[in-house]
Amino acid sequence: MGNRAKKFDKTAFCFIAPAFILFTLFVIVPTVASVYYSFTSWDGISDNVKFIGLANYREIFTSARFGNALKNTAILTVFISTFENLVALIFALMVDNVRWGKNFFRSAFYIPVLISGIVAGFIWKIMYNYNFGTFNALLQGVGLGDFKQDWLGNTALTLIMIGLVLIWKGAGYYMIIYLASLQSVPVELIEAAEIDGATAWQRFKSITVPLISGAFTINFTLSLIKGLKIFDEINVMTDGGPGFTSETLVYLLYKVGFNEGRQGFGTAVGIMLLFIIIILNTIQQKFLRSREVQM
Amino acid sequence: MERAKKKVKARDVVLFALTAFLGLLFIYPVFFALISAFKSNGDILKNPVALPTSLYVQNFKDLFAQSEFAGAIVNTVFMTVVSEAFIILIVPLAAYGIERRKSRVTSFIYTFFLAGMMIPFHLYMFPLFREMKLFHIFGNMAGPIVCAVSGAVSFGCLLYCSFLKGIPIEIEEAAMIDGCTPFQTFWKVTFPLLGPCTGSMIILNGLSIWNDYLMPYLVLPSGKPKTITVEIAAFVGQYSARWDIVFAGTIISIVPALVIFCAFQKYFVKGVTAGAAKG
Repeated sequence: MGNRAKKFDKTAFCFIAPAFILFTLFVIVPTVASVYYSFTSWDGISDNVKFIGLANYREIFTSARFGNALKNTAILTVFISTFENLVALIFALMVDNVRWGKNFFRSAFYIPVLISGIVAGFIWKIMYNYNFGTFNALLQGVGLGDFKQDWLGNTALTLIMIGLVLIWKGAGYYMIIYLASLQSVPVELIEAAEIDGATAWQRFKSITVPLISGAFTINFTLSLIKGLKIFDEINVMTDGGPGFTSETLVYLLYKVGFNEGRQGFGTAVGIMLLFIIIILNTIQQKFLRSREVQM
Repeated sequence: MERAKKKVKARDVVLFALTAFLGLLFIYPVFFALISAFKSNGDILKNPVALPTSLYVQNFKDLFAQSEFAGAIVNTVFMTVVSEAFIILIVPLAAYGIERRKSRVTSFIYTFFLAGMMIPFHLYMFPLFREMKLFHIFGNMAGPIVCAVSGAVSFGCLLYCSFLKGIPIEIEEAAMIDGCTPFQTFWKVTFPLLGPCTGSMIILNGLSIWNDYLMPYLVLPSGKPKTITVEIAAFVGQYSARWDIVFAGTIISIVPALVIFCAFQKYFVKGVTAGAAKG
């Protein structure tokens, strides 16, 4: 018996080995390498890697471009996460309560999730177009032609318009999670409260919300982290512009690394992004754990 | 069943109408892409909201005549299918080793894998490309495939490990007593029981590989067809005046995902919720 357990153990490591080797080689090694590159003036292509100490990080904390990208990322991410969750929760409640066509509506809200960022970005870019876009055509059609906009070109609106696309593309995903969470709320609890005379709003606020708050924490963190990594939509729709209006951290690191040949600096930006993600994750874990204790 | 007997209330009708309105609003951009793919460029510009008047397929003909779209489709299918095959060969096996032989080492490996979920791809992509050149997988299809498989380990182990917890170990023990090797036990006894999990895994990964842009764009050699998304992104730049062609391309990109979604809906739901429960 002991012998077999030992043999099984060895086999277990053979089982893990292929995944372990690939993951280490093609995820961890380049990540560790990028920590090193962030202290260099590497151009991203050549073998000429010169160590320059903390210069990239000094530039991060002094350059206006990084500050701008950080601000854009914060605005976009918070905007997306907030409304994505709001929309997802509303959709989940609607799908959960609607009397006919539950499955159909669940699919309808989920379909945008299936579309690639590039394609979604393109479709919306055309709909936002000043001369030939759907939005302006509709405004014109209902007699509100004065509100016609260059939706992506108006720097006050650019981030919000990009955010709308991502909310459209992402809400369905979180809806599925809310829906699963809503369906795990015991019906007896709701019925008992109904008998006790609680209004629909009171039942929602005092029973449903506390019971789905775990899903809320998870969804909010997931959407924050996803928001931090947005790339494809910005690439197709604005390329970071007009000017630097929609340049986020990921976009900044791509542009300086790929177009401007300053991969060392780009990687340093990436390391900052990784820090932000780690902090967000830690906060989420804390939140979830404290709730587990409560329950 | 009980619900069907209930009387239809005004509230039901209002909620239905509201949901239907929002549902249609939500599908509209997809519908817009669909109608535009069957309209000439002039018609798209003249009235973006109008329906196509006839079954106009010139856009699709132009798409294949003026670009390497056929090659791109072949590449995308190849990349997705081969990556998936390797993911399903490698990931459940690793999860099985971690979950069924718990020790300090395996639980460390589990944490190590999960940590990968936090690392943004954009952070390490350029160092990764440099490394890929060393392995001679930069500039050919092997590159995106190897990276897609490596990238799928984190989430895959999470999904499979949480699913394995629900599968009784007694079945495996019985198979071992009957003389199966651990490897046979896994593939013949445990793996079939993991079917729903594998379904979710194939679908969620397939979607992200199918829709991936940056990796194939930067890694595959230029001057040859790349993938569907890359071709579409390239059109948006090159043929910025030929929206009709681009819309035809977007429809070709969306339809397979849509068909697979409709056929395997329940796996989507399972994968998303299982991932969130532990993520």
